[in-house]
Amino acid sequence: MKKKLSVLLSIILLVSMLFTGCSNSDGGTGGKKILRSNNSSEPGSLDPPLAQGTHESWILENVFEGLMTFDEKGELVPGMAEDYEISEDGLTYTFTLRDGIKWSNGDPVTAEDFEFSWKRALDPELAADYAHILYYIEGAEAYNTGEGSRDDVAVKALDEKTLEVTLESPTAYFLELTAFYTYFPVNKKVVESNPDWAKKPETHVSNGPFKLVKWEHNAKIAMEKNDLYYNADKIKLDGIELDIIEDQNTAWQKYEGGEYDILVDIPTSVVAQLQAENDPQLHIGPQVGTYYYNVNPDVKPFNNVKVRKALSMALDRETIVKDITQGGQIAAEGVVPYGLKDENGKEFRDGVGNLIEYNPEKAKELLEEGLAEEGMTIEDFNNSNFVLLYNTSESHKKIAQAVQEMWRTALGIEIGLENVEFQVKLDREKAGDYDISRGGWIGDFMDPMTILELWWSKSAFNDVNYNNPEYDALLDEAKSTIDQNIRMEAMRKAEKMVMEDMPVIPVYFYTQPYVLRDGVEGVVKVPIRYPVITYADITK
Amino acid sequence: MSKYVIKRLAMAIVTLWVIITITFILMHSVPGDPFANENKRIPEAVYQNLLKKYGLDKPYSQQYLMYLKNIARGDFGESMKSNTETVNEMIARGFPVSASLGLQALLIALIFGPALGAIAALYQNKFPDYISMIISIIGVSVPSFVMGTFLIQFVARKVNWIPIGGWGEWRHTLLPSIALAMMPLAQMARLMRSSMLEVIGQDYIKTAKSKGISKSAVILKHSVRNAILPIVSILGTTISNLLVGSFVIEKIFGIPGLGMFFTTSIYNRDYTLIMGITVFYAIILILMLLFVDVAYTLIDPRIRLTEEGR
Amino acid sequence: MEKLLEVKDLAVSFQTFFGEVEAVRGVSFHVNKKETVALVGESGCGKSVTASSIMQLLPMPPAFYKSGQILFEGEDIIKKSEKEMQQIRGSQISMIFQDPMTSLNPTMKIGKQIVEGLVKNKKLSPSEAEKKAIDMLNLVSVPQPEKRIKQYPHEFSGGMRQRVMIAIAMVSNPKLLIADEPTTALDVTVQAQILDLMKEIQNQFDTSIILITHDLGVVADMSDRVIVMYAGQLMEEGTVYEIFKNPKHPYTRKLLGSVPRLDMDRSESLHSIEGTPPDLYAPPKGCPFFDRCDEAMVICKEYMPEREYHTDTHYSCCWLNHPMAKSVAEGSVV
Repeated sequence: MKKKLSVLLSIILLVSMLFTGCSNSDGGTGGKKILRSNNSSEPGSLDPPLAQGTHESWILENVFEGLMTFDEKGELVPGMAEDYEISEDGLTYTFTLRDGIKWSNGDPVTAEDFEFSWKRALDPELAADYAHILYYIEGAEAYNTGEGSRDDVAVKALDEKTLEVTLESPTAYFLELTAFYTYFPVNKKVVESNPDWAKKPETHVSNGPFKLVKWEHNAKIAMEKNDLYYNADKIKLDGIELDIIEDQNTAWQKYEGGEYDILVDIPTSVVAQLQAENDPQLHIGPQVGTYYYNVNPDVKPFNNVKVRKALSMALDRETIVKDITQGGQIAAEGVVPYGLKDENGKEFRDGVGNLIEYNPEKAKELLEEGLAEEGMTIEDFNNSNFVLLYNTSESHKKIAQAVQEMWRTALGIEIGLENVEFQVKLDREKAGDYDISRGGWIGDFMDPMTILELWWSKSAFNDVNYNNPEYDALLDEAKSTIDQNIRMEAMRKAEKMVMEDMPVIPVYFYTQPYVLRDGVEGVVKVPIRYPVITYADITK
Repeated sequence: MSKYVIKRLAMAIVTLWVIITITFILMHSVPGDPFANENKRIPEAVYQNLLKKYGLDKPYSQQYLMYLKNIARGDFGESMKSNTETVNEMIARGFPVSASLGLQALLIALIFGPALGAIAALYQNKFPDYISMIISIIGVSVPSFVMGTFLIQFVARKVNWIPIGGWGEWRHTLLPSIALAMMPLAQMARLMRSSMLEVIGQDYIKTAKSKGISKSAVILKHSVRNAILPIVSILGTTISNLLVGSFVIEKIFGIPGLGMFFTTSIYNRDYTLIMGITVFYAIILILMLLFVDVAYTLIDPRIRLTEEGR
Repeated sequence: MEKLLEVKDLAVSFQTFFGEVEAVRGVSFHVNKKETVALVGESGCGKSVTASSIMQLLPMPPAFYKSGQILFEGEDIIKKSEKEMQQIRGSQISMIFQDPMTSLNPTMKIGKQIVEGLVKNKKLSPSEAEKKAIDMLNLVSVPQPEKRIKQYPHEFSGGMRQRVMIAIAMVSNPKLLIADEPTTALDVTVQAQILDLMKEIQNQFDTSIILITHDLGVVADMSDRVIVMYAGQLMEEGTVYEIFKNPKHPYTRKLLGSVPRLDMDRSESLHSIEGTPPDLYAPPKGCPFFDRCDEAMVICKEYMPEREYHTDTHYSCCWLNHPMAKSVAEGSVV
């Protein structure tokens, strides 16, 4: 019996070891410059229009390149396109592609590829998550919603090197949009001949500084320098290797253990600690995003603007970002975050000024006034058992608790806290079943419009159904021209207006902390992207 | 015996059908959908396109029948989060990883769990008993994510050849299989201890001793041999749970197994993936339970599968 | 006749949480070669503990030998190490137990259980062991032994299992067999068969038997001598004839009186001994039977009676039999 048992156990042990597979000895980098990091989630797809978020974009941004791109200084510069012309009315763009641009399989990159790719991204059958970022193009939305035809999408390859695009309305940030991953080109020949082209590195074809060479699902992604890239001289790295480890702490352990050169997505406690120690490895990168609370206007007394403003005025945002979130975030001064330029190339935010006031005493007065107007007292308020809703997460919880406490101390009101799963929260917001709920938005392009249009009356993401025709008019004005003087002025007015009405209460502006090992240079943080590692160099 | 097995398999199909139906109903009664995202949301038109692509715009009854038809063919469909792999591919890729990790953890638990429990019983209320029981309490109460993180911080970081997470060589399996084994090890130890104590008090142990055979023979051939039976009965669920992977362990150690799908698929409302792994897990569980029932008859001669014989 | 086993003043106690339980309080007796000695008493009197302590099968702790010697073939086996005892157990001294339903390992084949001890000691080859097992089953009259050795205990009836127990005990031809209530759990008809088997074996192998029982019928059937035990001490000892014909201790008399007889009147109620044995945590300093004895005297409470020999082989521990006590009519059964 004992013998039989040990034989059985040995068999199981052997079998399990077999499965673990032969060792994938990476054998070290052998003198090559390989940048190592972690991509915290498994990419759903490495086919640009099917990408959904940062767990794919970071890779896509290195293996593909759009008409425009970001350089080593973080500036928006021509990429695949060498030059462009914009018509007087700002509606028609004509791009001239560079000479000598090639796909990683040797095919030349042509304007047909671009026309094909953009129309493909709008194909309703493809059901691209981010198709709406192409709606700026005339006929795009119609095609994507099934109302129009593919041919009516106003992008055309005039010849191999010339691409003409007509927009629905003048869009000042259109050039920047062409650097967004949904606008990346794909190789028409490859895609048409093999619908599964993006599923394996062997068949994956891209046009960027790197190419995909390894994709072990949920384990590892490796990219190698693409020698056919037109600007290969500027690329110092030989390759990039990304683990796919979801756990923040484990990833951090690996960075600390010297296995990574750079790491984005770090545990907040680590960020706090590094900040306290003034560790030079920590970089607090800018990000275009705002954290705010939706206030349900259909629930009394939140329909009263004084009540809403009082709630905002009672929040000590400095304390929140310094002691609670501890990620180097910036206390909100409006809804539009830092990192966006105005017509003079200066911070839009500074041009508008600080629209947020922190004044607990005044807040209390304001609250009482507002409540009185609604025929309520503070007692009535507290008896109504209002609830602040947030989706389950440690950080949201901490912030909510701080906010709850601040409102209690400064205003004497009791607000309950409730956390639900993210999907459930969405559902409840859609149904209007909430009092106050946590919201956040990360911008897609570097223009104040990316945030301000959230509260356009017809926006799909206008959870609080803010409906102000004057506000809409200002937004329309900003959308109707590419004259930045007019646009920025209109948007400044718009922000002031929305802060006056305060349909939402902004809390802080997002940042993106990341750590960089000493000896890694050339990493630049573009607010709209993960840190750009394309031009990085490893000197030590 | 074979009649019994066939009967069980037939029942298994009915069970699976019930599981599929209940899962389908539950999945669709929970609010939310696969296409939402925390910081960005998508406009209605795009949303509609996505629904159509995955057949979610059809009425539930039609969706249900489609599922059944496809599952009967063994096709679990396309994941709604991954555009690169089908659910079948994800399961086929993740399962061997989780299974090999699970088997190793099972071995560790099977070797050390009953051993610990037997020692505890033999030295009842003395030092070895206390040590064994403390170990098992730790194993049961320390959450696996604490255990995993602890192991990474204090073992992987200090010992060079033990990697910090990841997968590929056998040394990647060391820490996660230990972390994974703790709970079943502890359970088996406790179960073995109480089982041994009961067996030790039995008359046949006295008989065995009176034959003058060595102490170790009494312990192994008589006490342990009989005390191990209850452990076999929990093996069914234990093995199934270990084989399909632990979400927590795999997440912490960055192991590309099946475990993560169990939780992320629900969070993502990835209906096809949810259904796929639920059915897969159910199949494994059913097979394991059948296997254990049959194994039990081989191990305990008193058990017969049906009414015949006794 | 030589003394095979001599127990001298054996005292065995159990150390428990509540105190010391004196289970065996100064017991002395002997067993000769090829004789059957019956150890009689009610439940809890200490007879099983005595038997187990001869084999040293008691768990130590909580049991401990307070005093005394157990001389087996002249050697004090209390002093032997565990390893030495393993040589004795099963081969020199064997034991069979009360409940055959639970005394066999349910997961081991019968054949293996029989020769297990033998294989260890004598290093038999598998075929030799199998033959031996078959031989033993034949010895104890179990039919179809070739088939049976591959079966498991649950495939045997109670009587069959007890036969197997005997086979196990006899496999190494021990000099002494201790049978702890071997028939108590069996039907009456099966009882008779088992007893006959034991007698046969004793004849064949010259085995001495210590027969522990509370069943006087069994005593009468099988034993040469009888020892009566009560509350950890011996009350009376004698040949079976002496004990049954001429019991000298009130307890023995009551025991005999409580056995139902075929010639009793149907309306007569059964005689039982009222009361319960004393608490062994705090055993009485006098005669332990004092509380239940009809004929007790004051001295019985204070002092433990000494042995009073009536013949060479018959003694009782009772003040009533002391020369200085008033005489009681001989042979009377209360």
